Amino acid sequence: MEKSKELKFESPSFITRIKGMLSVDFYRLFHTPLFYIFIAIAAIIPAMIIGTTGMDSSQTAALFTNTWQAIAVEKPLYVVENIGQYANMNMVFIFGGIMVSIFIGHDYKSGYVKQLFTTHAKKQDYMISKTIISAFSMVCMCGTYLVGTILAGALVGLSFRVNAGSLICAILGKMIMSLGWASLYTFLNIIFRKLFAAGVASSFFFGTGILIIGVAAILPGNPSILNMFLYGSSVYACLSSNFVSVLVCILCSVGWSIFYNALGTYILNNSDVY
Amino acid sequence: MNAIEIKGLTKSFRGMYALNGLNMKVPVGSIYGFIGENGSGKSTTEKLICGHLVKDSGTIKLFGKDYTDPGVRVRVGALIENAGCFPGASIYMNLKMQCLNLGIENADEEIDRVLKIVRMEEHRELKFKKCSLGMKQRVGIAMALLGSPALLILDEPINGLDTDGMRIMREILVDITQNYNCTVLISSHILGELEKIATHYGIIRQGKMVQELSAEEMEARARIFVSLKVADMQGAKKLLDKQFKNVREEDGYLRVYDEENTEAIVEFLISKGHIPSEIKKNKVGLEEYYIELMSKKESA
Repeated sequence: MEKSKELKFESPSFITRIKGMLSVDFYRLFHTPLFYIFIAIAAIIPAMIIGTTGMDSSQTAALFTNTWQAIAVEKPLYVVENIGQYANMNMVFIFGGIMVSIFIGHDYKSGYVKQLFTTHAKKQDYMISKTIISAFSMVCMCGTYLVGTILAGALVGLSFRVNAGSLICAILGKMIMSLGWASLYTFLNIIFRKLFAAGVASSFFFGTGILIIGVAAILPGNPSILNMFLYGSSVYACLSSNFVSVLVCILCSVGWSIFYNALGTYILNNSDVY
Repeated sequence: MNAIEIKGLTKSFRGMYALNGLNMKVPVGSIYGFIGENGSGKSTTEKLICGHLVKDSGTIKLFGKDYTDPGVRVRVGALIENAGCFPGASIYMNLKMQCLNLGIENADEEIDRVLKIVRMEEHRELKFKKCSLGMKQRVGIAMALLGSPALLILDEPINGLDTDGMRIMREILVDITQNYNCTVLISSHILGELEKIATHYGIIRQGKMVQELSAEEMEARARIFVSLKVADMQGAKKLLDKQFKNVREEDGYLRVYDEENTEAIVEFLISKGHIPSEIKKNKVGLEEYYIELMSKKESA
């Protein structure tokens, strides 16, 4: 056993630091029951959506006639006209936001964040790691959502007819957008790091896309510029998606991630941790 | 070389200065007792060194390098306010996470090593929330010891501990400085305990360093006094006042300061008809020294 160490100070590289931080976050994520609960919730959501909107009843006609409508809307969507248009894989981002809030909130509540920042971890590393881990958990949720959708569609007996290429592009687009959403949630929860409830509330508020829906509702015509925003680019990943749609999602997701990470790092570097 | 060197450090909260031009030097290998009343700026200083707070101005150097240098930071361990552990996770899991963060390859060996130092090896699977206060403090120390830190910063680590817990903590701290080449900065209100282990002291008041001194300097400055108990305390005091320079009635005793010759005092009292029922020769401890220094500052 090593009894003493010389006073040598070697700076760990960015890769070493981020590897350490990611290892902590992945270890924690896989040992957190909450992660598995949210993954299960993501699988149940489409079953509930299809179960309640995919069947005719005596009063209402079915909102969903095709299983894949539970994954994405037919065309890029700016204004929600009915619940069927709203209820798709985007709902994962709402639950994902709440999960990110709890994950980051516990860092601060427990005081664990002090252990991280006392050592070599930089604020930038924290932002990047939290964004990646949050995006990963949302991608996992997208995966179980997809499985849940297929099972529910098969059980209810809805059609599975679709343009496979567009469907893959839509699913890929949504998964890619997880990164953008994760960076937004990480940023929001850094702002509200001292107010856990406010962090959860802000994630929910932004996750539902109320902001963009509201803007779209008051803008005249087809406000395609909104596609550049998070919510817009998320709904752009629709059942008529193609390679360009995926590219838009990549650009938006990466662009917003860099923006929110830079902003979050700036805030953390220039304000007290707690 | 100094493990910590602070120059002109200031920090304010909403316009109120918590630190106002603090200067501080902590020599390598020392156990530095950081003393001050509540709100004097001890915790703020420690949090600034740990990078938890953002300073207004001044410089902080750790082992001659800027305190934000990741190479230095990776060798800093801290226990500030609480252990910073996830309550629902086991002690092992909490330590494992910090090992991963620090990039320690043999995490299990390292966890066993630090748990042995803090005498918690039998409790590694215990959930953190089920630990007693003393155990939590020791887990906090274990967490800070991961990766063999060169600098350990401990904020009130013995608060709330029972006598046995304090003794264990004292032994741990002496062990890590003597055997692991570690410098310790420790703040505490329990000066009697601090006195037993500290090699250096820093006394802070209203965000400024009042005095820094080594244990040897403290010893040299420590005043000797003889404590006596007699039946007629007032009468004896009047007589002693005439013969000796500094006589005080404190804590139910007559204290003759700066006088080593106990026999001379006793002989003098007996010759005047006062028979002492109790005689003790003492030295002014850290606590008395601190109180005296503070009262001088107060009156100044």
